[in-house]
Amino acid sequence: MTGAEARGPLSRGAGVRYRLMRDLGAPVLMRGSRFFRKKRVRRAPDPALGPPLACSARLREIMTRHYLLARYAKGALPVAWVTSGAPVELLRAFGFYTVYPENHGALCGAKGMGARLCQVAEQHGYSQDLCSYARIDLAVDLSGQTPVGRLPKPDLLFASNNICQTVAYWYTVLSERLGVPLLLFDTPFNYTDGPRRNDRAYMVRQFEEMIPVLERVSGRSFRPERLQEVLLLAKETAETWGAVLATMKARPSPMTIFDAFVHLAPVVSLRGLPVALDYYRILLRELRQRIEQGQGGVKNERVRLLWDNIAIWPRVRDFATLFAARNMCFVTATYTNAWAETAPYMEGDDPLEAMAETYSRVILNNSLAHRLELMEGLVRDYHVDGIVIHSARSCKPYSVGQYDLKRLLAERLNIPSVVLEADITDERAFSEEQIRTRLEAFFETLEEG
Amino acid sequence: MTANPLTLPSRSDSMARQRALGRKIVGVFPGRYPREIFWALDLLPVEIWDPPLEMERTGAHLQPTICSVVRLGLELVVQGRCDELAGFLFPHTCDSLQNLASVIHDLLGSGKPCFFFYPPKAPFGEAARSFYRTELEALIRTLEEHFGTLKPERLEESVSRGKDLYRLLASLYTERAGAGLDASNAGFYRAVRVVEYLHPDESVPLLEKFLEETRAPGEAAGPPVVLSGVLPNPASLLDALDDLGVRVGDDDLLACGRRLPGAPDPAADPLEALTQGFFRSPACSTLNAPLRQRMDELLHRVRRCRARGVIFVGVKFCEPELFALPRLRKALKEQGIPSLVLELEVNQAVSGQIRTRLEAFVELIEQTEADL
Repeated sequence: MTGAEARGPLSRGAGVRYRLMRDLGAPVLMRGSRFFRKKRVRRAPDPALGPPLACSARLREIMTRHYLLARYAKGALPVAWVTSGAPVELLRAFGFYTVYPENHGALCGAKGMGARLCQVAEQHGYSQDLCSYARIDLAVDLSGQTPVGRLPKPDLLFASNNICQTVAYWYTVLSERLGVPLLLFDTPFNYTDGPRRNDRAYMVRQFEEMIPVLERVSGRSFRPERLQEVLLLAKETAETWGAVLATMKARPSPMTIFDAFVHLAPVVSLRGLPVALDYYRILLRELRQRIEQGQGGVKNERVRLLWDNIAIWPRVRDFATLFAARNMCFVTATYTNAWAETAPYMEGDDPLEAMAETYSRVILNNSLAHRLELMEGLVRDYHVDGIVIHSARSCKPYSVGQYDLKRLLAERLNIPSVVLEADITDERAFSEEQIRTRLEAFFETLEEG
Repeated sequence: MTANPLTLPSRSDSMARQRALGRKIVGVFPGRYPREIFWALDLLPVEIWDPPLEMERTGAHLQPTICSVVRLGLELVVQGRCDELAGFLFPHTCDSLQNLASVIHDLLGSGKPCFFFYPPKAPFGEAARSFYRTELEALIRTLEEHFGTLKPERLEESVSRGKDLYRLLASLYTERAGAGLDASNAGFYRAVRVVEYLHPDESVPLLEKFLEETRAPGEAAGPPVVLSGVLPNPASLLDALDDLGVRVGDDDLLACGRRLPGAPDPAADPLEALTQGFFRSPACSTLNAPLRQRMDELLHRVRRCRARGVIFVGVKFCEPELFALPRLRKALKEQGIPSLVLELEVNQAVSGQIRTRLEAFVELIEQTEADL
């Protein structure tokens, strides 16, 4: 069956509903939400933090609209659930509406729903030792509970093990539960420098094998030139995100890494769409303005810090105020950097080869030697005084090796660091007492320094 | 049942003998890899799954939430017990083992050559098949840089030796499934696990003798069960099953049954034979086999040995196994097959609580048998 012959999972009625919501419903709802937000009594800003970023409201609208339209996408567009490191550009070329369970998991965590949802999955036999993003996602499927109203059932699952093998196990379970095909993009781990020749050939051949499946599911034919356009857009988005992060080299940094954790959402979830690029251009303008005005994310920035690993989503705000109160500002993170780091590889005569190169080189698909070098570079470039290492119970590829990274960074750069044992969304793995004790000792070291 | 019909050579004695024969020893961390390539280069691969060590120094390198297979592997290295090895091989198996390879190679500096082998994780199409073959070639090239040129006739000979070994293991599994082996559970696994450290010149005659001495058609007694998980450890679990009169009829263990390669076509050249063996091997969580295939194969194992139940012998914190567990249990339940999940630490004695759960499970399956 060719793409042109295939009808895909789409229906005319669903298409009309989706377009009505996109063109009329969503804009009206967004205007209403803006009106009510103005009326709402806001939480008093923390005195140690700089003024909130003006474009945060725009970000909220973009993400709300994304999840709102997702509810109407099923049947109107082919829908895929995608992992954060997967080469989504390929799906964009076929017009898929994409949903990111990891982003949704982070949202649940930030809203304090992580542990509750994890427990739902555990009641169905999924071990507490499994990744909490995965447990949340399985719980959403099992219970329908989500802060975004409803997630559309996918027509396709698209995963890449360039961030972890966990996503492959998780999506294998989803594929069986939901009865939809899984495309797994397998990226051989870079034990040494970058992908080898046979790795590249393997990855490109996998793309070639995926194309007929994508044509069948989407009902559209593959057009390489369309993929090239999407890839260029994604590249520019990743570069602009990189420029956004680079503003944090300024003293004072115009925002903190906790802001960046939140503003990361479009480059993860909407990469390859114009809305993400437009948004980062606005954010970049605002940050440059703040630099000109000497306005910092922390009002009285004295100490600059690096964060390693994914955020502790339920504690993002607490940590922002805790560190700001001590005039400490996180100015960089290995995590936020991940979506900018590979931008240079996103271009080439053959878009499939460019995607293979790009997605093979993401931080977690590289050896710890690469991570050590990257962290050393970030410490130097961002004038970092100390490092906070989040040892995330959920994330083995990010966390195994951190103790030795800490030791080597101390030996090479004479920089203090602290390891916090916690989790990305499951609050039960957060030990207040242990973390307070460790942070107090860390603060003392920094203040003495 | 015969507890241990053979005297098995120890790892250290066997390694010393092989070194005296001019062979070098390579330490291999858990997973799938082509043993035949090592044999053909006069190397002896010795696998590191569950070294009998106290965890003394690993805590400085790894979080307590990392599985004990990974922690013990690192313990062996940081205790300096690998001095006599000529190098390490790290097959890519899971996230924790992947990073363990990098900790040893990049951050601790073991001072030994490290080799890597990546079995494809999406073994669905031709891309994976051709990649696997090129990965074999790449492994040969990197080993040759350290250990000399591989002669084609030696590889052919090794692949043929491998076929003998795997045929023999398959016979042992078939006999056991048909209640045709008079061997204790502990004795069976001590015997078949010699392939993790013996050269086939030693393991093949030893296993032939084991088969010959334990073959006793229809004599094995006790309700049969299937074990599923990573490895048959702790030994005290096998002893407990023996004490309770339970017979392991088959296993779906990553270290054992799941690593038996499928038989290649007779005319296949050596690398093609290795490729076919890999792609015809049983479904495995670490290779992202579709769950339906895992369920079907587990049920096939249950039927093959007429098992009355399945015991999941999980290693604490092992993600690849834990994800599939609820669905596998559900599939068993739908067929009326009881299952028991045990979360174990490698080499740790079976606790009183686990023993009680085992006893209750055995009572349950004996009752089921009686009802039938």
